[in-house]
Amino acid sequence: MDADLAFSAIRISTPLIFAAMGGLLTYQAGMLNIALDGFMIVAAFAAIAIAYATGSLTIAVAGGVACAVVMAGLLALFNLRFRAHIFIAGVAVTFLAYGLTALLLRGILGEEGVFSSNTIPNFPPIAIPFIKDIPVLGRVLSGHTLLVYVAYLCVPVVAWSLYRTRWGLRVRVVGEAEDAALAAGIRVERIKVQTMLLSGVFCGLAGAYLSLGYVSLFANKMTNERGLIALAAIFFAKGRPYPTALVALLFGTATALSVRLPQMTGAAPQLLQLIPYVVTVLALIVVGLRNARGRNRHGAWKFDVT
Amino acid sequence: MSETPLDVVSISGVVKRFGDFTAIHDASLTVRRGEVHAIVGENGAGKSTLMNILYGLLPRDAGTIELFGRPVTFSGPAEAIAAGVGMVHQHFKLAPSFTVADNIILGSEPLAGYGRIDRARAERDTAAISRRFGLDLDPRAVVGALPVGLRQRVEILKTLYREAQILILDEPTAVLTPQETRELFATMRTLAESGHSIVFITHKLREVLAVSNRISVMRQGRIVATLDNEGVTAQEIAGLMVGRSVLLRVKKAKAEARDEVLLKVDGLEARGERGEAAVDGLSFAVRSGEIVGLAGVQGNGQDELVECIAGLRRPVAGSVEICGTKAVADPRRNRAAGLAYVPADRGGVGLSLASGIWENLTVGHIEEFGRGPFLAIKAARARAAELIRRFDVRGATLDKPAGSLSGGNQQKVQIARELTRDARLVIAEQPSQGVDIGAIESIHRTLVEMRDAGRAVFVVSADLDEIFSLSDRILVIYRGRIVADLVASETDPETVGRYMGGLEEAPPAAAASVSEAADHVH
Amino acid sequence: MSTEALDAAPSFPLAGLVKPLVQPLVAVAIAVLVGGLLVLALGENPIEVYSILVHGSLVGWPNFLVTLQMMSPLLFTGLAVAISFRAGLWNIGAEGQMIMGALAAGIVGYAVDLPTALHIPLALIAAFAGGLAWALLPALLRVWLNLNELVVCLMLNPIALLLSGYVSTHLLKAPGPTNKLPDIADTAALPTFSLYSQVNAGFVIGLVLCLVFAVVNGGTKKGFEWKIMGLNPRFAYYGGIRVPLQAVLVMMLSGGIAGLGGAEQVLGEYRAFYDNFSPGYGFDGIAVAMLANFHPVGVVLAAFLFGALNGGSAVLQMMTGLSKYLVQVLQFIIVLILAAQFSWAFLGSRRKAPPAHAAPAAPKEE
Repeated sequence: MDADLAFSAIRISTPLIFAAMGGLLTYQAGMLNIALDGFMIVAAFAAIAIAYATGSLTIAVAGGVACAVVMAGLLALFNLRFRAHIFIAGVAVTFLAYGLTALLLRGILGEEGVFSSNTIPNFPPIAIPFIKDIPVLGRVLSGHTLLVYVAYLCVPVVAWSLYRTRWGLRVRVVGEAEDAALAAGIRVERIKVQTMLLSGVFCGLAGAYLSLGYVSLFANKMTNERGLIALAAIFFAKGRPYPTALVALLFGTATALSVRLPQMTGAAPQLLQLIPYVVTVLALIVVGLRNARGRNRHGAWKFDVT
Repeated sequence: MSETPLDVVSISGVVKRFGDFTAIHDASLTVRRGEVHAIVGENGAGKSTLMNILYGLLPRDAGTIELFGRPVTFSGPAEAIAAGVGMVHQHFKLAPSFTVADNIILGSEPLAGYGRIDRARAERDTAAISRRFGLDLDPRAVVGALPVGLRQRVEILKTLYREAQILILDEPTAVLTPQETRELFATMRTLAESGHSIVFITHKLREVLAVSNRISVMRQGRIVATLDNEGVTAQEIAGLMVGRSVLLRVKKAKAEARDEVLLKVDGLEARGERGEAAVDGLSFAVRSGEIVGLAGVQGNGQDELVECIAGLRRPVAGSVEICGTKAVADPRRNRAAGLAYVPADRGGVGLSLASGIWENLTVGHIEEFGRGPFLAIKAARARAAELIRRFDVRGATLDKPAGSLSGGNQQKVQIARELTRDARLVIAEQPSQGVDIGAIESIHRTLVEMRDAGRAVFVVSADLDEIFSLSDRILVIYRGRIVADLVASETDPETVGRYMGGLEEAPPAAAASVSEAADHVH
Repeated sequence: MSTEALDAAPSFPLAGLVKPLVQPLVAVAIAVLVGGLLVLALGENPIEVYSILVHGSLVGWPNFLVTLQMMSPLLFTGLAVAISFRAGLWNIGAEGQMIMGALAAGIVGYAVDLPTALHIPLALIAAFAGGLAWALLPALLRVWLNLNELVVCLMLNPIALLLSGYVSTHLLKAPGPTNKLPDIADTAALPTFSLYSQVNAGFVIGLVLCLVFAVVNGGTKKGFEWKIMGLNPRFAYYGGIRVPLQAVLVMMLSGGIAGLGGAEQVLGEYRAFYDNFSPGYGFDGIAVAMLANFHPVGVVLAAFLFGALNGGSAVLQMMTGLSKYLVQVLQFIIVLILAAQFSWAFLGSRRKAPPAHAAPAAPKEE
């Protein structure tokens, strides 16, 4: 693998890492959040619109994150307060977000399908001292933009929060044994809302990165199922932060390859893009087989409704 | 310390209603500092409900609760915990993949800055209090890997870590081995001596006499007596618990058991939900024209046994025959073989609470109304209307959801559906659980009619009264085995109670477990 | 007490017909209101916008035919989702099943040489089988391994899209710049009825399917069993219903119907399989099914509404500064509201499960 490919793999994986960290928090709190794409697209749109209007990347990213958090709040409201099934509400929020951003794209920015402008500022690449001088590694690791580094730094922060702090312990207990948390006087609903809103924050960063981080451009449905791939990484790594990030990086690499490989060999990009989904289904089957063996041991009939 | 006993808890005039049903009538109770106070009573007497009110899990409808002389109203367990009340539930509230220390500190974690948990201190503290009260536990052990007795210790330590002065133990011995029970009692004494007050909910009279200072007896939501544990006998307490008034006896002729075996269980073994051996090589038979009652403390394998017969659980070994046909793990085939089954779990298994009553009455009879691939809905509804009348299901219309009915009427719907099937073997599991007295009578009468019509009736009940009122023959299940097979007219509740408690460890005179008292509805 | 009394006739004769409509209508009303505010915020006149939508979809024969064309795929995906949700199976994989059905129809449509009388049925069967196969995997995994069919369907949707993309851009790509399979033979084409729109025989097939399933749900043993299974599968199994078998059957039918929706697109509208042809009909099907409260006749009505919105949205896009995606926003506001279980009770609906304490006998102790 050459250095350019590794460089672009790291770049392409950035929104996946953000989204995976967001989805992982709700996963740990016992909620399968399938609206990651919806949160992201809203942030991507808000970020580019704000950047276009204000010329400030800081305000743009903050605005994008804020809008994603609002979407997360909407999902939390319907799931936790109004008892909507999280998958149905999640699908609804996602498609609502796709529709809303497309509507606003035309309504506010007056463009159809795609928007870009050369007045929008770019994130400058950051050269890391010392590392940039290391032969191959320097070309891979140095020269990314700020959000890329933020994404990778989020992984240890998330891991630390989940496994070292009081809040993390509570999140994990809520996800594993809600009744134990309730009996210990923990406000379960509040923890769930917090993880959902944080999920919005991370997806907001992912979305802002998508529209501003590399090329300043917004397109309808531009998240391109990245939320789903992030979710696949979470399933695969069972929600543990470092393995999840690693799997997201691998899935990102597959995507990077799917862009590069066809140019060189004429192979179909779709086959590489299939990898995350197929691998996840296989992983689910393996886990299912293991659980089924345990169930057969006590021989009870189980067909629980989700 | 003063010589006069100090009341740390004083409950007076507490009332709790669930809809039209009054679960607690005007209950008053005091708990003193440093005592073990047992609350005994039959299934559904309201023991757990009363304690859940004290612990803030349920709101009360009337009455006052004072803690250390101050009136309190808890809106949730968190407030009760802060006020010094701890509760150990029968079903543990632990997170299995976490360590002992994590489980213990959960909710009041020691911090080390930046929201970090001070794990070293957590483990130190955990080790310290477990030593102080003689509870040997490794703070780093993963809870899921611990045996049940140790998990209970974790629960007790959780309350002590929060400096609870009042500990409520809900049926703590139900899941313990005799050895673990002895250790628990020692712990309870240690705690009481160090000034804690312990409320001990149970139905096992031998244990009550062994460990408690005072005993409160509950019956039908009332506290009927509070006694000092001096010179009290198990028989007296049992009398208070049962109360002659609730004794129901259905008038019935002597059984004419025929020789035709309709249910034959042979060497049956089955595993429970956690993979444990729940049914352990069990054999018996039920013949046509008799009612056989299965008595036993809940959790001794009754559920798994019935599930195996019904086809809801696959046995590990042994066989079940229904009306001469070998049963399999498929309810459809077993029903076809001639099984009618009234399950205890009405909402989860026996009814679809969100479906209309006519639909609930039609499941299991679909073939009767099959016209090719079609369903004769008019005919099915007409039959349902007829059943509602015949079984006197109050407040029912055909399209009303079954969940809108009271427990007794839900039970009538189940019974109407099951007993009108052309099935020669009838299994009724906890038929009167959560059913009002009037409905109990009609349900019992229906079961006796079934017997007189030559069917075989197998009743599983946690209520000894019910067992005696219905059965011609009584089987007692203990730890997954049948330990006694008695003729109902030749035995008495005390004898059966002894078998229920496991005869070997019970000195015949003292042991009288009048009834299983787990108030839990599955 | 008489049977009549038990049947408790509604207080006025139309109540039985009106009641099931209240909830969807309220949801639609809220969506229209929220959408109106959104339009207002974007500087357009909501009344004008909605009247354009109505006009553009319903007024005039050509507009109306476009609406029928737009509702055709939704009849299939809506029905597919409705029958699976009603049976308690959360098939959100209609999108993938539709794509696989379309792909199968597209291949059979061009690669096989047959007279019309055989070619169309064969292509339809292929489409049904394609969708069915794509639903079979989640169904079997659910029954054998208790894997959540939602998660599996979610993953299978992009797999279907990418696989069909691979086939239509590489394996069997038609010559030329467009990513598509070769055009289907005329013998496989579903007849169209008008020059104004591509509404075709697929529309009729969809309508007939909805009516067939109205009868299946309302009057057959299977339909009864599926309903019970959807509300309480353990009760259904206890009562002698073969739940695992029925679950697989329902999923297969659901997938097959979604697959036929793909055939409608390929054999009727596009006359070839195009890569990425579906703008998300499978997900719109969720909206249709929820609005229909999982009733097949409701599916026809809801598909008509959404078809009209989709049809009108094109006109909207041309005549105002708004995007056609306004319609998608409205649709999924409706789904969100219908998914919620808040206070529907005040509408006298029975959607909400009875509260835990409804049965006084079972005070939950922990």
